[in-house]
Amino acid sequence: MSAGDILTCADLAIGHGDRVIMDRLNLSLAPGKILAIVGPSGCGKSTLMRALGGLDEPLGGKTTLMGVDLNASRGQQRQDILRRTGFLFQGSALFSSLTLRENIEMPMREFLKAPHREIRQLAEYKLALVGLADAMDKLPSEISGGMAKRAGIARAMALDPSVIFLDEPSAGLDPMSSGRLDELILRLREAFGTTIVLVSHEVPSILRTADFCVYLDPDTGTMGAYGPPKSFLQAGQPPKVHAFFSQARFD
Amino acid sequence: MSDVATGLSSARTEVLADGTAVVTIGGSWNQDSSLPAIVVKGDRVRVVAEGLADFDSSLPAWLYANFKNVRHLDLSALPVRLQSLVQMAEKASSADERPPHPGFLEQFGTWGLESSASWGRAFEHIGHTAIGFLRMLVGRAKVNWSDFRLELQTSGVDALPIVALLGFLTGLIMAYVGLIQLRLVGATVYVANLVSLAMTREMGALMTGIIACGRTSTAYASQLGSMNVSQETDALRALGINPIEYLAVPRILAVTLMIPLLAVFATFIGVFGGMVVACAGDLSIEQYLTQAVRAISFKSFLVGFIKSIAFGFIAAWAGCYRGSVAKRSALGVGEAATSAAVLGITFIVISDALFAVIFNLFDL
Ligand SMILES: Nc1ncnc2c1ncn2[C@@H]1O[C@H](COP(=O)(O)OP(=O)(O)OP(=O)(O)O)[C@@H](O)[C@H]1O
Ligand SMILES: [Mg+2]
Repeated sequence: MSAGDILTCADLAIGHGDRVIMDRLNLSLAPGKILAIVGPSGCGKSTLMRALGGLDEPLGGKTTLMGVDLNASRGQQRQDILRRTGFLFQGSALFSSLTLRENIEMPMREFLKAPHREIRQLAEYKLALVGLADAMDKLPSEISGGMAKRAGIARAMALDPSVIFLDEPSAGLDPMSSGRLDELILRLREAFGTTIVLVSHEVPSILRTADFCVYLDPDTGTMGAYGPPKSFLQAGQPPKVHAFFSQARFD
Repeated sequence: MSDVATGLSSARTEVLADGTAVVTIGGSWNQDSSLPAIVVKGDRVRVVAEGLADFDSSLPAWLYANFKNVRHLDLSALPVRLQSLVQMAEKASSADERPPHPGFLEQFGTWGLESSASWGRAFEHIGHTAIGFLRMLVGRAKVNWSDFRLELQTSGVDALPIVALLGFLTGLIMAYVGLIQLRLVGATVYVANLVSLAMTREMGALMTGIIACGRTSTAYASQLGSMNVSQETDALRALGINPIEYLAVPRILAVTLMIPLLAVFATFIGVFGGMVVACAGDLSIEQYLTQAVRAISFKSFLVGFIKSIAFGFIAAWAGCYRGSVAKRSALGVGEAATSAAVLGITFIVISDALFAVIFNLFDL
């Protein structure tokens, strides 16, 4: 852990209500790095992301985001931090009564002083980045699940956040769109130095994009392994981690 | 607008001899400041950077917006990280396919067609509901009976206080207004006839029906509407369960059973409300009650009772219908609730008028 880390957690415990799902979590991520969270379904990946992103209070331990202790920050300070992050929810969570364009414009209108026309330009560009230039005037109920995912990603990118959290961004996407998404993630990082935390089940995509990977092990209730994803393929890893990663060895 | 020195975003255009437009961008670009306007003609554009400081996504967005339809766009002189962000943006296949704004007549016609289609859908829904009831009677429908029991409570029993209050006030108001006139002719004793007859034949059923529209129709429209939003209705259908039978039939049945009982209750409370006003000065309790009992015939009781059955059905059906056709959005659910109350009240008043004609024909 170094002073320049944009995201850290120390001895973090997460869960719902009083129920602890995972504890003893220690992570740190330097700016511009990409972290992948992996693990079996229901192990607490989404819950961890919400805690790291400051959406839920942790049950114990400490998290910092952009150098600010999340436990200690409330009200306006917390909101300022959240504004500089982008979040894609597992269920996309688009505003159902707004068109895709309006969904992306909404945060911009709230936070940017730019004139109407430029906000429109920005929104159209961000939708074009995720390949939705043709569907801007559709309502969330009129698009497919994969399109909703991509629109959710565009909304997460709306304010050029420093940290983007993506909960299963490639779930529901075909291999082509999923490949494009990997490329987009890499280019965003390259162009703006964006830090990205993502949950993914796709080993090839993790190997292509992530700098670090954390495996959450539901049996021990803590992280099973942490390191560059390539190291997960090598021998010497816990058998579960190795098994999880080598399903895609043939790639 | 070329103020590289001051750090603001800038763009200027020159056209070369071969027709290529060269756009020079510079300064620092960010989402919070206003961006330069530019007009470029022709289908050959080269963009170069001069004194370009930092930028966020407003610069690629600006490039995309201005040059997405340029046939030969040369960005090779720009920083690689910027180039790649512009190239990632996928062009829409057709630039502008929004239909032209319709004229007034066209809008009027569309409104006419849509409203007749929505009447069609409403009657279709009544039909399906009727079929659902028939299938329930022969035991072939899957009906959610726990919803039925719950609704007997929430739409029936839980409505007692509000029905009591409004019934009481209705009787009170009628007695008050009636007395003003009846005093003129010295026939104050007939205020008991007026109140009890009006409550039995008309106001008991009508007030209860309208309360049901406010409480129950709106509740059903939002329940079924949000189930629509979260695709629970689709999930039912995927399980081979007809949502009308499963959701609408138990609700409509519960309300159709409970509203007549509530209406009878409202009637008695209303007569009592009238008594409070009448006996405050003009009549004795005994006079009022004798007169009231004499005025209420079995016929007028029957009229009120039949009407209240119909009103209960209408109120519950309006909620279920508007909920099932609600648009799949938070806004759609709200609209469904509003329109369910409006539809319910409208249908109740219309059918009340029809009942008046019919009962008149049969001399009830
Ligand atoms: N709102 C909630 N209230 C209570 N418990 C919850 C809530 N959301 C999730 N859980 C529980 O927390 C655990 C972890 O859930 P989480 O959504 O974080 O899993 P996940 O790793 O993201 O799974 P998946 O890969 O299926 O998305 C699960 O056991 C779940 O039952
Ligand atoms: Mg999850």
